[in-house]
Amino acid sequence: MVSAIEAKGLVKNFGNILALDGASFTVRDREIFGLIGPNGAGKTTALRIIGTLIKPTSGVAEVFGTDVVRDPDKVRRIISYLPEEAGAYQNLSGYEYLRFMAGFYSSPGRDVDEMVEEGERISGLDERLKDRIKGYSKGMNRRLLLARALMMRPQLAILDEPTSGLDVVHAYHVRQMIKDYTDKMGVTVLLSSHNMLEVEFLCHRVALIDEGRIIAEGGPDELKERFGAENLEQAFMEATRIG
Amino acid sequence: MGSLTIITIKEVKELVRDPKILIGVILMPLVLYPVMGSAINISQKSVMRAMITASFAIYNEDEGPATEAFLNYLYTNNTVIPIEADSLEDALIAYQDTNATTLLYIKEGYSENVSQGLKAKVKVYANLKSMTIAEVGSSDNVNSLINIYSYYLSINKIGRLLEETGDSAEPSVVKSPLSISSASIIKGNVLEVPPSAIFSLIMSQSILLPIMIMVMLMFAIQMAATSIAIEKEQKTLETLMTLPVGRMTVLSGKLAGSITVAIAGAISYMIGFGYYMTSAFSFAPELTSMATGDVGLGITPVGVLLLGVNIFVTLVSGLALAICLAVFTDNVRSAQSLTGFLVIPVILPAIILMFSDISMLPTTVQWILLAIPYTHSIIASKSAFLGNYIVVVRSIAYISAFTVAVLYLAARIFSTERIITSRLTSISIKGLFKRR
Repeated sequence: MVSAIEAKGLVKNFGNILALDGASFTVRDREIFGLIGPNGAGKTTALRIIGTLIKPTSGVAEVFGTDVVRDPDKVRRIISYLPEEAGAYQNLSGYEYLRFMAGFYSSPGRDVDEMVEEGERISGLDERLKDRIKGYSKGMNRRLLLARALMMRPQLAILDEPTSGLDVVHAYHVRQMIKDYTDKMGVTVLLSSHNMLEVEFLCHRVALIDEGRIIAEGGPDELKERFGAENLEQAFMEATRIG
Repeated sequence: MGSLTIITIKEVKELVRDPKILIGVILMPLVLYPVMGSAINISQKSVMRAMITASFAIYNEDEGPATEAFLNYLYTNNTVIPIEADSLEDALIAYQDTNATTLLYIKEGYSENVSQGLKAKVKVYANLKSMTIAEVGSSDNVNSLINIYSYYLSINKIGRLLEETGDSAEPSVVKSPLSISSASIIKGNVLEVPPSAIFSLIMSQSILLPIMIMVMLMFAIQMAATSIAIEKEQKTLETLMTLPVGRMTVLSGKLAGSITVAIAGAISYMIGFGYYMTSAFSFAPELTSMATGDVGLGITPVGVLLLGVNIFVTLVSGLALAICLAVFTDNVRSAQSLTGFLVIPVILPAIILMFSDISMLPTTVQWILLAIPYTHSIIASKSAFLGNYIVVVRSIAYISAFTVAVLYLAARIFSTERIITSRLTSISIKGLFKRR
């Protein structure tokens, strides 16, 4: 069976800065996979490479068997990328934004109205979708963007720090949205986070990343057991100490 | 709906809904110019009214039949304030207390000089209290009255002299024996119109259009830079770049959206400016009585088409250039500051060529100007009016070549990750073309 993501030896240099140093990981179909690590560990760079935004200096990344560098257009048709701190067009209404985005994914099998309806339902923003986005709170904004990312039913959703900066209520809602939707629709999710509790709650498997290298990969329970830790936070600290 | 249409509609919505753009680019010219035009109209009309109704003062030191005849002429149909004083100094003091802006001083010996055929002297004093056109105009009015009187006095005198000598010549012919009339030759056709009139007509027609183009170009540059910078500022660009849509489509959509709003801005500008011209100068209808068509300079359909192509390629080149620059900025403010530098190559040729022809300039300046593509936009628009279509085509070819080069650069930037990662501090043109 083809893996959802197969990343091998990813290296990325930004001038003199080495953001990724041979990172390799595999994401299986229909699983929620978390990249965990501190700030500057290389999570966003890895996600941007998988999301076809940037090219690796060396190494290979494939999404459902398609090389992200050789055929980025094909990859873009099956993925949906939610950047960290992403924004939406402030002068459009939430509804117009969903419609705008759905326009790129419409197909004979699924029209724009259907996707927008689904986006409305996922976001849970109801009547507020008629308002201009400039009046949205950070949490509402994130819910809208997540709805956008999921409404087109991508084969792979790439979510960079999906709950970063959100209050407890919105963070809870967003996590619930991801879990419910992926369970129901069978979407594969690659997410990054430095919130270990979130990762434990959401992810089927995780990869611990530090200084551009993957230092451990496995299920949350498996990793805790491997490092004799009570939670993923301890497991990460132990892994970095050993690694 | 195609991806290009979706992006273009979104761009237009985003730009038009931005209050800064809606007010500054579209609504402002519609309001500002008519208000300016009305203001000029009101002030000009009041100046004219003041000039027509202005009274003038007379201080007369002379007595005699010629003086009496002159005074009779001046008092008829004019509001005259007679000044009674013992000396000119006193008269000048007394006159300044009146509301008259001009004083006509008839010197002693006027009548005697007229009757003896000598120069009779009068002097006009203008009291410039508020330094307005009305004050100068009022003084000119008095001068005109005197000149008319002087002319008829002369004709009268010549008539009498001719009678005495028995000559049958017309007094007016004796006074001005030569009659000058002017004509101009345009494109081989002789036109019974003085060259100065044609020149001012060409100036008004051929200057207005380049100004319009420049204004539209500045709007477009601002739009394009804003549309990229907004994506960066609002952090929407990353998402846009991962959508299943070609990056050239994104670039084209941005260009199309910016052009649409720029055209709307230019139309609004033209409507506002047209209203400004008609309302500001409505008191002087002779300014607009002659059209280029009347003097054989009417633009042909081919000329209109070439002008349209010229404007289009000029706009696209400006937009592509703005996008190239805006990519290296993080927010709208820095994008606008950076693209502000583009004002220099856009405005400089317009200003220089407004006052002179390119061939009149020193060779070095000519080469510098000719290297700037926007110089060719202006040359092309002037040439289109004069029917020099070869020059227009040549200019279009140059701007198009420049546009293709800039579009290629913009496409390169858009197709690499530099659109996401570039900052002004990390500009590397060499790196842009580096192969991985």
